[in-house]
Amino acid sequence: MTITYVLMQNLRRNPLRAVLTATAFALPMAVFVAAISLVVLLAKVSIASQKELRLGVRHKVSLINMVPEGMRRKIEELDPDHDLLRAVCGMRWFGGKVPGTQNTLTSLAADADTFPIVYSDLGLTEKETAKWHSDRLACVAGSAPVEQYGWKVGDRITLESTVPPYMSLEFHLVKVLTAAERGNVFYFRRDYLEEALKSANVPSNRVNIFWVKCASAQGLHDLQNRIDAAFANTPDETKSEDENAFMANFTQASGNIPGLMQAMAVVVVFIVALVAGNTMMMSFRERSRELATFKAIGFQSGRIFAIVLAESALLALLGALAGVIPTALVLTYFPVKNLRMGPISSFDVSPIAIAVSLIIALLVGLAAGLWPAYQALRLRTVDALRKVA
Amino acid sequence: MPESEIELRDVRKVYYKDRIDIPVLEGLNLSVPAGEFAVLMGPSGSGKSTLLHLIGGLDSPTSGSIRVADSNLEQMNERELTAWRSRNVGFIFQMYHLVPVLTAAQNVELPLLLFRMPSSERRKRVATALGVVGLGDRMDHRPNQLSGGQEQRVAIARAIVTDPRMILADEPTGDLDAKTSEEILNLLNTLNTEFGKTILMVTHDPRAASHGQRLLHLDKGVLERDERTPARAPAAVS
Repeated sequence: MTITYVLMQNLRRNPLRAVLTATAFALPMAVFVAAISLVVLLAKVSIASQKELRLGVRHKVSLINMVPEGMRRKIEELDPDHDLLRAVCGMRWFGGKVPGTQNTLTSLAADADTFPIVYSDLGLTEKETAKWHSDRLACVAGSAPVEQYGWKVGDRITLESTVPPYMSLEFHLVKVLTAAERGNVFYFRRDYLEEALKSANVPSNRVNIFWVKCASAQGLHDLQNRIDAAFANTPDETKSEDENAFMANFTQASGNIPGLMQAMAVVVVFIVALVAGNTMMMSFRERSRELATFKAIGFQSGRIFAIVLAESALLALLGALAGVIPTALVLTYFPVKNLRMGPISSFDVSPIAIAVSLIIALLVGLAAGLWPAYQALRLRTVDALRKVA
Repeated sequence: MPESEIELRDVRKVYYKDRIDIPVLEGLNLSVPAGEFAVLMGPSGSGKSTLLHLIGGLDSPTSGSIRVADSNLEQMNERELTAWRSRNVGFIFQMYHLVPVLTAAQNVELPLLLFRMPSSERRKRVATALGVVGLGDRMDHRPNQLSGGQEQRVAIARAIVTDPRMILADEPTGDLDAKTSEEILNLLNTLNTEFGKTILMVTHDPRAASHGQRLLHLDKGVLERDERTPARAPAAVS
């Protein structure tokens, strides 16, 4: 027999209370691990965005205010030798959805010539790039719509726009994007859209944003200042920001979701700590005479302190595992689809989230057990034993 | 004259509660030789349990000296007292205080967790202790599967498993019927006579008291009477 065995057996002392307390950890930790996974994914998107050195240039007022496509040439002329700038790609929002469905894809028409350069991280092969250039109807799509609608490379796809003039266009799928942070996107050629707009007699030649691929982080910073300065005091004043900042704005357009999640997590953790602390205090009070007996037979106060603290931590950890493991399994085998948070379409459980959740549960368990353990440390054996009499 | 196992000199104990001094023991002198079975009697509040706790190193005197098992307890800090207790004293309480989720054997094994000892040696000692108290066949029973008398026997086995020099028993039969009390007291007698344990027992029960060799009557913190019961001779101490 070991002290650990005694700890484990102690959890059986009041099984209902142990199960309820463990459940009080399990449920919030299940939500917590999912929330942390999402935050981790957003952080990954942020890191990936920073790495790609893309600068988004849009109208200063908002993304909805479109800017003339001729601005691209002016941006390119700011660095004629291409020391800072690799390529500029104009993009226009299409907001397409599959006919008969409600889900709007993050669908954008991109400049055909520069798209493969500016979005080199999408991993288009030479063959796929050649198809993109040769076929006006070419498109690339994230894994979410591909899986949802059963598309395959080579398929003909029809999307209806959700913005005026609500046109319907047909595309040829040349690549499926597998990265989770591109799971919900749909890119196609802007020249194809422009032709369609002209046919529909809609004024065009305007874009929502230019993505500028930069040569270096310093170059990105310099270009950001130069571009905004170049268009200052014009009808189309610009606001330039790196992709990381742009994504943060975009994913938080409907509210500061990560912030909200963190706030909720803090509140939940605090409540769980109170519940667990109360339970541990009750447990300690019920067992004060037994703990006094432990002291009487030679257990040092420090060891009693450690036993009470470890019991609380163990209960918290077991509860957290009971919440985290099923959540991790469910999200691994049934990942969340159709999340539609900006370009992010799905997420599964991150090992970091599991580790963070378990560490937090452990810390909450220790915090909850701290006061009872301190009381046990200070417990006067004589006083506790006298209660019997 | 055997050497004193317990030696108290001018021991005073005063509790301080709500700004009032409450004297419990008043200049007590006592000497208990090794191998003696002494019984402490007296009315409630006379200081019996306080004296037992002082001798067992669970509490410290306000003044005076306490020498038990060759150690001056009043000079030891809490940590040293705790370690000293684990080696020298076995406690038996009225309410047994067994851990309900552990078996009889595991309860008896608890004090041995404080010693560096192979598990085989621990198991051997546990089996011996439970055999001495007559519960060799109840090792895997949990406290709720045992009678009150059997629970107290487990508590006694827990008290002797470390082979302490003395046993301090606080009303060990207070919660038991007459027949079971007699069995427990006979067991204590066995521990005293056959195993040479010095025993100090607190009791209200005159019948229980008759099992000792010496009766100490406390009243209002003062040792009023110190009588010898010649029926039993003190155990031979090796």
